[in-house]
Amino acid sequence: MVTITINGKEVEVPEGSTIIEAFYQNKQDIAHYCWHPGLSIAGVCRLCMVEIEGNPRLQIACNTQVMPGMKVNNQSAKVKDAVKWGLDFHLINHPLDCPICDQAGECGLQDQYMKYGQYDSEMGEGKVKKHKVVDLGPRVVLDSERCILCSRCVRFTDEVSKTNELGIFNRGDRAEVGTFDGKPLNNNYSQNVVDICPVGALTSKDFRFRQRVWFLKDAETICTGCSTGCSVKVYHNKEGLFRVKPVYNPAVNGHWMCDQGRDVYKFVNKDARLLDAKVVSGGKTEHMQATELAKRLGTTLKGAGKSVALVLTGAYTVEEYDAILNYFKSEVQTSNVYHWINNPENFDTFDGLLLRGDRNPNTKGLAEALSKNGFNGTWKELTDGISTGSIKTVVVAGPENIALFPDLKAKVSELARAAKLIWLGAAKSADLEALTGDVALLPTKSYVEKSGTFVNHAGLRQTVKRVTTIVPGALSLTEAVAAMKGEDVLAQPKQQAGVASPTVGAGRVNNEFTLTRGVW
Amino acid sequence: MAEIKYLSEHYSKPEFKTLDGYKKHGGYEQLARALKMEPQKIIDEVKASGLRGRGGAGFATGVKWGFLPNNGEPRYLLCNADESEPGTFKDRLMMERAPHQLIEGMLISAFAIKSKKAYIYIRGEYMGPAAILEKAIAEAKAAGLIGKNILGSGFDCDLDLYLGAGAYICGEETGMISSLEGLKGQPKLKPPFPAVQGYLRKPTIVNNVETLAAVVPIIRDGAAGYRKYGTEKSAGTKLFSISGNVNKPGTYEVPLGYKLMDLINIECGGLKPGRKLKAVVPGGSSAPVITAEECEKATLDYECLAQMGTMLGSGAIIVIDDSNCMVDVLSTISHFYHHESCGQCTPCREGTGWMERIIHGIVHGHGNEGDLDLLIKIADNMKGRTICALSDAAALPVLSFVTKFRSEFEYFIREKKSQVRGGQIYAQLHH
Ligand SMILES: Cc1cc2nc3c(=O)[nH]c(=O)nc-3n(C[C@H](O)[C@H](O)[C@H](O)COP(=O)(O)O)c2cc1C
Ligand code: SF4
Ligand code: SF4
Ligand code: SF4
Ligand code: FES
Repeated sequence: MVTITINGKEVEVPEGSTIIEAFYQNKQDIAHYCWHPGLSIAGVCRLCMVEIEGNPRLQIACNTQVMPGMKVNNQSAKVKDAVKWGLDFHLINHPLDCPICDQAGECGLQDQYMKYGQYDSEMGEGKVKKHKVVDLGPRVVLDSERCILCSRCVRFTDEVSKTNELGIFNRGDRAEVGTFDGKPLNNNYSQNVVDICPVGALTSKDFRFRQRVWFLKDAETICTGCSTGCSVKVYHNKEGLFRVKPVYNPAVNGHWMCDQGRDVYKFVNKDARLLDAKVVSGGKTEHMQATELAKRLGTTLKGAGKSVALVLTGAYTVEEYDAILNYFKSEVQTSNVYHWINNPENFDTFDGLLLRGDRNPNTKGLAEALSKNGFNGTWKELTDGISTGSIKTVVVAGPENIALFPDLKAKVSELARAAKLIWLGAAKSADLEALTGDVALLPTKSYVEKSGTFVNHAGLRQTVKRVTTIVPGALSLTEAVAAMKGEDVLAQPKQQAGVASPTVGAGRVNNEFTLTRGVW
Repeated sequence: MAEIKYLSEHYSKPEFKTLDGYKKHGGYEQLARALKMEPQKIIDEVKASGLRGRGGAGFATGVKWGFLPNNGEPRYLLCNADESEPGTFKDRLMMERAPHQLIEGMLISAFAIKSKKAYIYIRGEYMGPAAILEKAIAEAKAAGLIGKNILGSGFDCDLDLYLGAGAYICGEETGMISSLEGLKGQPKLKPPFPAVQGYLRKPTIVNNVETLAAVVPIIRDGAAGYRKYGTEKSAGTKLFSISGNVNKPGTYEVPLGYKLMDLINIECGGLKPGRKLKAVVPGGSSAPVITAEECEKATLDYECLAQMGTMLGSGAIIVIDDSNCMVDVLSTISHFYHHESCGQCTPCREGTGWMERIIHGIVHGHGNEGDLDLLIKIADNMKGRTICALSDAAALPVLSFVTKFRSEFEYFIREKKSQVRGGQIYAQLHH
């Protein structure tokens, strides 16, 4: 450790730290744009100016290492004036787009201006105009005029995704971010550049113009898109979830998350969900509340023994597995429990960064729960049991995000060969809706609607807390089991009518991004 | 004292360009001598000679060589032949007239710093000099002067030419390294300095053409011999390229410490008849301008010019007589820096353009009262706030022109026309 003084206060920081890291570690404010803790140092925005005692020149904090006894400050008139000027340089060619800019409300430029600026601009000359709405790739749009050329996005594609699609073309104030010919920004981590862009230059096609950020609440949770279990924030309001962003977690995902994980929220929203419980039997369909259905099922399942099989996916929490396995063992009295592995061919693959072939948040948790209870049935035993008729009822705790279950259709028809199929799941599925036999469908809660524990691929246990309710009346497996046991589970009101829910891509006009780079 | 031909002794002889011609005048004898010396002894000799970098910053060459870490990593020697600063053309003369002198200087330097790979990075527009160098390198390779086991000494060194695409910023040493690495030609953040992590992140020395060529006579005459010329702190001779309003513009070699006015009046034949000296930019377009009055006292050495608040720079002297409008001159200079900023650092990227637009406004009769103070503020805030010195190079002329010739600027803003050229329309050279 090294002792230095920051703004008059003595602090200890690890040797080799930069001054900006020392500021952060000690919760001191410092202006900056180009520095990002997950990227190399660029030193180009020149906002992180500090005065170092004994040094006549101001230095940048991001590229200066601490030295024992160093006295730094960023509160002197000299520094404040330099930062003010640094901001002014950033702003002279910046358009006054805030009212229409998607970044408004979480814009680094606005924030810094409020903190360090608040002056009248002396810029009287015309602004340099750059390109607007440049289509960079399938997920990201660039508004070059708002870009402050911090190079974070370029460094990201060089250093993190290592896909090198982005570059800064041209020189001086004609410089613009762009893609190389025939190489659109198209990698599974592309939307991280939107997160790290300090201004509204890079926007996500999925999110832009769909909500003002101040109409959204956010909450931390875990991504359930694969077995990595990245720490994320979901942004939501009463209409549903709108976007997901990564949260720094050094033990799991660092600063980043993958684009596929960002899509997970879509399957949580109402239009993708199984909204109410229903029973199809003898050609008749009956709708009811989930608790009621669960209670009814409980009476048929109790003591039914080996004629009942349970199929589990890796989408549920440790607590839910404990509850349901315990129920099947002691009340249903069967050991026919099977693990549905959605994509066995590439289940063990890994893209080297975050995304794993196991597209379930809790495969490890499920495996632990199964082995703890001594359940080790193979899929073949299940299908043989269905064929011979020894298994008459199949209960499935199915996928939440059916897009991650390419074999859904095949599995549904395979399992529907049993005399009775009881399907607990969060997703609306045409394959299930089409079944005409003896079928019961029970809506379950998605990961943002319940609390619990996921065990990631590395065995790390991470807990999530309920964020919001999307489908009122849906049950967690724990609640469903309680109801099956006859306990009173607080029945939730049926969904409110008339509340719109955001649909993937809905409302977006085709051909929205018209300009391309190189056309003035 | 007058012009001397020390470095440039044989520059007027066409045969000096060829290997045979060069050898006739003692060419490659110093290389042979150096290869028998201890490398450290060469470094010490260069240190003792007081040779300072001729690329602009004037940093002591031997001292720079001493910064190389002893970590067993391969080292590179890069010759900076980018020479893009407006007003500078002295390296071109050396490359055209004495390519083998540069090669010999580089081989000695490479041996001294234990580098087995050297490059000459030449500016894209220098097609002529590049062709001459190319030929000289081929000759030297064929003669076994470049390559394996040079002159039987056991020393291996490869040397190649690299033609840039024509960007001023590629003359900045780390910009040059980026360009050589195949990246966009833009400077890198320091530290780490090139001597520690340069080309391909290996220890690298970047020296100017003239600096490297000067190593040859230093070996020949020893440090003391070299120090016969120049002053205590500005040792040796230097090539000055003079342009502007003199009768005989060109490149002249004089000892450091020479009087600026002597160079103008004696070597360059003075000003055109009837013209009066108005100002001189003494060290390339980035050096702060000095007034005619200051010129009287100026001697051509690092210290005197620094004391006057300007610099010797690359030794590019631009002479401005009273037929020139300082607003026009600054407009041209500012256009250059705006055009050449690499665009990485915000103050430089935005400041160069902002300043040019203000100055352009003045030239086009749209100046405002507050423009000059604003220009000074912008320039002040561009200085010392960026990765490389281009930002300073853009700011310093603005500061010095506006301060020293303020009345000319004020006149232009007030009257919407030039005090010097009257109502004549500004030639729209740039747009
Ligand atoms: C914008 C800029 C342009 C430069 N251009 C040149 C150049 O064309 N030639 C040169 O030798 N040095 C140039 N320099 C200086 C180099 O960065 C470096 O200091 C020099 O090559 C070192 O060589 P020396 O020690 O022999 O002078 C430039 C510096 C800056 C900031
Ligand atoms: S980037 Fe920030 S400052 Fe710029 S228009 Fe958008 S919200 Fe406004
Ligand atoms: S697009 Fe955003 S992240 Fe990329 S350089 Fe511009 S401001 Fe920085
Ligand atoms: S000062 Fe200017 S030229 Fe130098 S690195 Fe910064 S932006 Fe580029
Ligand atoms: S954060 Fe240090 S220069 Fe940008």
